[in-house]
Amino acid sequence: MRWVARLLIGGYLLVATLPLFWMALTSFKAKQDAISLHPRFVPTLSAPAEADPERVTFEATTEAYAKLRAVQTGASASYFEHLGNSVVIGLLSTLLSVALGTLAAYGFSRFEIAGSKDWLFFILSTRFLPALAVVVPVLIMYRELGLLGTHLGLVLLYTAFNLSLAVWLMKGFIDEIPRAFEEAALVDGYSRLQAFFRVILPQARTGMAVTAVFCLISAWNEYGFAMTLNSSGALTVPAYFAGLQGNLEGMPWPQVAAGALLFVAPIVLFTVLVRRHLLRGMTFGTIKQ
Amino acid sequence: MQERGTNRLKWAFVGPTLLFLLAFNLFPLVWSIVLGFRNGELVGGESRFIGGANYARVFTDPRFAEAIRLTARFVGLAVLLELLLGFTLALALQRDWKGKSAVLTTLLVPMMLSPAVVGLFWNLILNGNYGILNQFLGAFGLPTPQWTTDRDWKFTSILLVDLWMWTPFMLLISLAALNAIPKSLYEAAEIDRASTLTVFRRITLPMVAPLLGLAVLLRATDALKQFDLVMAITGPNDSKTQTLSTLLYQVVFRDGKVGLGASFACVVLVAVIAVATLFTRYMERLKGQPS
Repeated sequence: MRWVARLLIGGYLLVATLPLFWMALTSFKAKQDAISLHPRFVPTLSAPAEADPERVTFEATTEAYAKLRAVQTGASASYFEHLGNSVVIGLLSTLLSVALGTLAAYGFSRFEIAGSKDWLFFILSTRFLPALAVVVPVLIMYRELGLLGTHLGLVLLYTAFNLSLAVWLMKGFIDEIPRAFEEAALVDGYSRLQAFFRVILPQARTGMAVTAVFCLISAWNEYGFAMTLNSSGALTVPAYFAGLQGNLEGMPWPQVAAGALLFVAPIVLFTVLVRRHLLRGMTFGTIKQ
Repeated sequence: MQERGTNRLKWAFVGPTLLFLLAFNLFPLVWSIVLGFRNGELVGGESRFIGGANYARVFTDPRFAEAIRLTARFVGLAVLLELLLGFTLALALQRDWKGKSAVLTTLLVPMMLSPAVVGLFWNLILNGNYGILNQFLGAFGLPTPQWTTDRDWKFTSILLVDLWMWTPFMLLISLAALNAIPKSLYEAAEIDRASTLTVFRRITLPMVAPLLGLAVLLRATDALKQFDLVMAITGPNDSKTQTLSTLLYQVVFRDGKVGLGASFACVVLVAVIAVATLFTRYMERLKGQPS
């Protein structure tokens, strides 16, 4: 049984990581190596001595990374400008979601609020809304307000769609902080707000960090709204990449691989950072470890 | 403990969030219902009230029925296969060993990545002529279909990439469910000399069922929205892979039929709300249980 288990895990480890490994290799190739009919997976530092079409080696180059600075045909800005949009929109919406979500979570955790259960489930249900089902009214609304194709527009929208996650996760974390802490503070003459800022917030730091990571990832990866509410102004990387499809010169695969790798690398890092809280984050705090 | 001004204070805490959600979720939703009864177009022109004409089209145009069937098939297959695969892997990963947490974290990475970006790169892997998958399969003399362009394989291709992304999710929850089973149950079974199969059927399965149910519902609501991978691999207007979300995109943004799209969105929403209600009820029940 034991070696069956090992074989299974080893095999799946390959399946899970090979596509990303291939992405990394492709990002160091020249275009003709990326689309050669025989797989080239051994990077070398010098050009191959003989140009055997069936060779497995390719000359490693960082050309694709350098080309990311150029503006592709059919696009209006370079990859890095779109990456900048992703960073700005992701960070701002995360900040806003965590701030609002923490306040609301504290409210629902500590006060008696009429219909609080119904409110909480209303908040959760907004998560199940497909972006495409509400995009038309949002589009019309944004056109009227001049928010179409702006960073602010996406920040507000991502905040709205991440609030459910932020409220539910933060409520779980705040529920775990003993009420005795703030009650002692209130007895000491703190006001409710002071108790919240000086006692609860420091205690909820881990929770806020974990929540921030999950909000950031979900905003970072979002594609539906980014594409439909944008033509160029605040295009994030997922929408920009999708727009490269149908390129007349064919897909610039090494650049796509390089850009995709730079784009997913921070997510891999964040996944490692919150690995102990993945379960909680993925189930809206329903399952705690 | 009710201080003065508490009433105002508590709404100050929860109010901004609720207002935000009303403005960006509920308001567009209600507006969608209104748009569904009008003949709006994406560009130009005044729209007018046309009664149930859009709905009549949604229920008669075969495209809509086909998208519903296809999405149902996708959700069913994806969730079932991911559950089976994820649970099997969890069984294999149950025992503790050195380096297990690093391996587990690595296995979980795909579910955190952007489906639009990674899905686009999968096009290179799946390419029928120069893709690494076919080069690999060909080396073993296995069939090498044109994954993303052959009409019989497109759906499978998208399903495969979805399995790659989301099996880790089922693995994660299955593992948590397995770990939550008290060891004493297994010890008792051992004293009773119960067979491995009996132990699995009478202890393991019933104990993990509630959490797996939660995982299935979460995954199903997500798969129901499938959009990014289809857009990345076959595009919005491919009859073999047109899901609810991509059909909506096609109708609204390519055909420019805003009213028709809105009415279809409302029909889709009824289905989504049904699944979501099921989920929230289920979650309430789970939370009620001592864990």
